[in-house]
Amino acid sequence: MTAPPGIERILFTEEQVNQRIKEVAAEISARYRGRDLKLIAVLKGAVFFLTALARAIEIPVKIDFLAISSFGGSGPGMVRIAKDLDHPIQDEDILLVEDIVDTGFTTRYLLQTLAGREPRSLGICTLLDRTVRRIVPVPVDYRCFEIPDRFVVGCGLDFQQRYRNLGYIAVMDPEKS
Amino acid sequence: MAILTISGAPASRFEDVAHGCSRLLGFELITESRISKWMAEEFGETPVPDRAWRPAAVSILARLATEHHLVICLGGAESLFPASPFTLRAGIVAPEAHRIGNVMLDQRLERPEAKTALARMDREAKHQRKIRSGRTQPLPDSFDLMLNSGHLDATQMTEVIQAAAAARRLHEQGLLAASVEAQMQFETRLKLARHGIIPAGQARLMRAAFSHPSEQVFANLLDFYRIPWEYEPRSFPLQWDKDGRVIEAFTPDFYLPEFDLYVELTTMKQALVTRKNRKIKLLRAVYPHINIQVFYQKDYQDLVFKHGLKEAVR
Repeated sequence: MTAPPGIERILFTEEQVNQRIKEVAAEISARYRGRDLKLIAVLKGAVFFLTALARAIEIPVKIDFLAISSFGGSGPGMVRIAKDLDHPIQDEDILLVEDIVDTGFTTRYLLQTLAGREPRSLGICTLLDRTVRRIVPVPVDYRCFEIPDRFVVGCGLDFQQRYRNLGYIAVMDPEKS
Repeated sequence: MAILTISGAPASRFEDVAHGCSRLLGFELITESRISKWMAEEFGETPVPDRAWRPAAVSILARLATEHHLVICLGGAESLFPASPFTLRAGIVAPEAHRIGNVMLDQRLERPEAKTALARMDREAKHQRKIRSGRTQPLPDSFDLMLNSGHLDATQMTEVIQAAAAARRLHEQGLLAASVEAQMQFETRLKLARHGIIPAGQARLMRAAFSHPSEQVFANLLDFYRIPWEYEPRSFPLQWDKDGRVIEAFTPDFYLPEFDLYVELTTMKQALVTRKNRKIKLLRAVYPHINIQVFYQKDYQDLVFKHGLKEAVR
């Protein structure tokens, strides 16, 4: 695929991404071996990472998906579940799979929502962690990459719903797109 | 005045409901952290004795109620004001499983440890309630409305309370009349005098008036995620002259009490960022215990792009 306009540089190549996902998947496989692991991803961005991660994990896993309402900027909107899980998570080991954790706002809300459903354990695995942006502290158990304070696309991350399907992670200047 | 009290058991997330109600109703949110701050302003840094806490709180709240309708989000809040046409007292209950889940999340514990921690929190809450209301458990008739978060999420509970407030016509209540406040102050100050406490009468509630559209957008974002915030609640003196007068101070834009964190937005020109960075560096040096997170212009643009709000901050 031709590099889209506005791409400044490739931060992590497809090979680097795949290699790192394998490493993290190995850690997860070791920790959850013999347990009942379910991966939960938030639509849409985390779908690409969840798929790659699940294929690299060496133990049986279940998957499920959530979607939340999007922020509109004005008016009395509040975050809420737009698409709920298909199945209960009681007594299961839950790993929330995120494409990126930055401010922590969304992750905090999702963790609160999941924690009330009696999982045996609750962890976070993220492809990208932009800790410099963190406002709300959230405990990240597994991260593939910590990234600088730049706008990135690829591997599920979009700009105006595009570029999620890039196999690499690139820094983008939205003004030049 | 219209007063909505929202209280509940530890880890029931009644605070989220209170925050949502404050936003939907346009009432001012009174939290533990704000009450503590006002108590310090009124009575100095010496803690108010336990037995004087209730009249001290009522004295402050009565004054605020002359200018604002209030959502009071405190443990035992339902006992502060008696049942009346201008009050609505909501209680939030949550199944123990939900509360344990919240503790697991907040304290990063496995379920058995979270259960133990919750038991400890319940004991502490009972002790606090005993201090504030004289009872370890509220009486059943202490509430006008009870909601179960096992079957309603925070948004739904907020909407139910909003409907109840509309049915009670809370919005139509006037602010507390000065004469009524004077009577309440007389009564509470008599009680406080028994403990040797004389309020200074300084507590004031400043309504947020954002100085930049980006601050409004950021406040909306915090509201969207039900994260309680305060706008410019505190100024930090940074430099003093030889006579001890403050010659430079810094006022962060937001305070997030849940995380004890200040947030400063900088959407101005890069040339001015350097000056602000210097102030923040000084703030961290003078007040090393203060947590502050800075959102620079480029950070903010990314956040805004991500949420499709490009035009909203221009």
